Amino acid sequence: MAEARTLALQRTLAALVLDPEGGTFEDDPPRFARSHGLPEVDAQSFQRFSEGLAAYRELARLSLVDPIETMFPITKALLVREGAWEACVDTFLQARCVVSQHYRDIAPAFLGWLAETGWGQATWPFLLELAHVELLEVLVARFPEADLPPGLHPDPDPGDRLVLDPATQMVSYHHAVHQTSEEAPVPEARPTHLLAYRDAEGRPQLMDLTPAAAALLTRAQTESLAEATAALELTDPAATLSLLRDLHDRGAVAGFQAAS
Amino acid sequence: MARDRFMGVGLGLRRPHLEAVAARPDHGVPFWETCPENVIGDGGRPHREACAILDRDPVLTHGLAISVGGFDPWDEDYLRDLGRFLVRTGTPWHSEHLCFTSVDGSFLHELLPIPFTREAVRHTVARARDLQARLPVPLLLENITYYAELGAAEMDEAAFITEVLEGADVGWLLDVNNVYVNALNFGFDPKAWLARMPMERVAQLHIAGHKRFGTLTVDTHGADVIDPVIELMQWTLARLGHPVPVLLERDNHIPDLEVLLAERSRLQAAYDDVLAVPVRGGGHG
Repeated sequence: MAEARTLALQRTLAALVLDPEGGTFEDDPPRFARSHGLPEVDAQSFQRFSEGLAAYRELARLSLVDPIETMFPITKALLVREGAWEACVDTFLQARCVVSQHYRDIAPAFLGWLAETGWGQATWPFLLELAHVELLEVLVARFPEADLPPGLHPDPDPGDRLVLDPATQMVSYHHAVHQTSEEAPVPEARPTHLLAYRDAEGRPQLMDLTPAAAALLTRAQTESLAEATAALELTDPAATLSLLRDLHDRGAVAGFQAAS
Repeated sequence: MARDRFMGVGLGLRRPHLEAVAARPDHGVPFWETCPENVIGDGGRPHREACAILDRDPVLTHGLAISVGGFDPWDEDYLRDLGRFLVRTGTPWHSEHLCFTSVDGSFLHELLPIPFTREAVRHTVARARDLQARLPVPLLLENITYYAELGAAEMDEAAFITEVLEGADVGWLLDVNNVYVNALNFGFDPKAWLARMPMERVAQLHIAGHKRFGTLTVDTHGADVIDPVIELMQWTLARLGHPVPVLLERDNHIPDLEVLLAERSRLQAAYDDVLAVPVRGGGHG
């Protein structure tokens, strides 16, 4: 490539910012530069501007870590308490998972990295669920607007299936991660079903679902309410319809349409 | 002429103020500047409020993440969405930073300095020309704050910026705070620096606050604008000899809207003051 020197310089600065070895850059800046294939003239420049280059490590890492610390305060509290937060962040940054120009995508990239690598989950089996629930309401609040299928009506009929609002998410966890706090970040191990949705004001809300309600909301998206309630042996159809009307009024359910 | 809509001192449109700004069209801000990356692909209530403001008020657009000096291929989907967004807002131009922000597909979300070399000039000129060809409005490039030269320089910053602007034939978003901060960090006279620059390419100014950390002054966008930077803005406007829009940036320690509106009014008074007497301060150096 004609611009090999420019690219090599940029790669070296990226390594200085993102890689653990960048933390020891100031011990011997020219050596760091040489180790990345830079010629001697550039290595000497790294010595001359070592203070400013070290500042880039601090500033750029702050840019990447700040949204993670903001979005995952309980996850951070847990890992700080366990002495593992810095290692977690270092490993994430070194993995170079931030591949979007959107600043808002940094936190989801961290969650995706946890999911893909399983980092820390041998020690803290609830870690991914904890991080997920911390981001859940943000993702629901910011979910892009989407068109609804035509012909939805507000009152459920036994022959209908339900259509969730596009921003609504149903999640199931093995731990009650939604009941943690920075002071008590370790969740109780119990099956947990949550419905996250936007209310009429556009603000995110979280609802704790019973296993039966979670199963109903899952099945009734693909089959009629009558079929779903029968399959789940729900014996009070009036209560079921009342629940669904309530979820529609809250904004979690977009509406109902005849099951085909 | 579209540019006539963009005079005076505008404000960066920031998330904490969306609800208040959307609710009060009498805010008195002549124009807003918005970051397309923060709007495109977003959703929900803040997004609706942002769009309502952008559809109602004059808007300039200012990107944060396109790696003009980098090597990664353009995100074609994003550029398509960006083009639509620019047309929708009616912005007369779109600005990006003269820097690189990503390497090998990894975004660092920091404005990183391009080497001041002939090779980097050639590369950046080609990239800027290619980017301009993909945008529906003229491209401006903004001078950044830098804290180190990346590699052995073959020219100084002023020559580098000039060669890129001239080579790419693009306009200049002149950030006077960045000039001031660089002057502090590298020990030069900001007015002498500006006197060397292609001022005829300036279409817009940025102004902001900064903070000193040890021996380094950092462009934090997190404090009030200090008087010497306001004076540099006035000096620049006088030297230009015609009004251009000035944008107050505030991205950290964002105060209540009323506080920021007062800060804008203070800058607007300084702007009006210098432009009311066009000959004043118009001397060189």
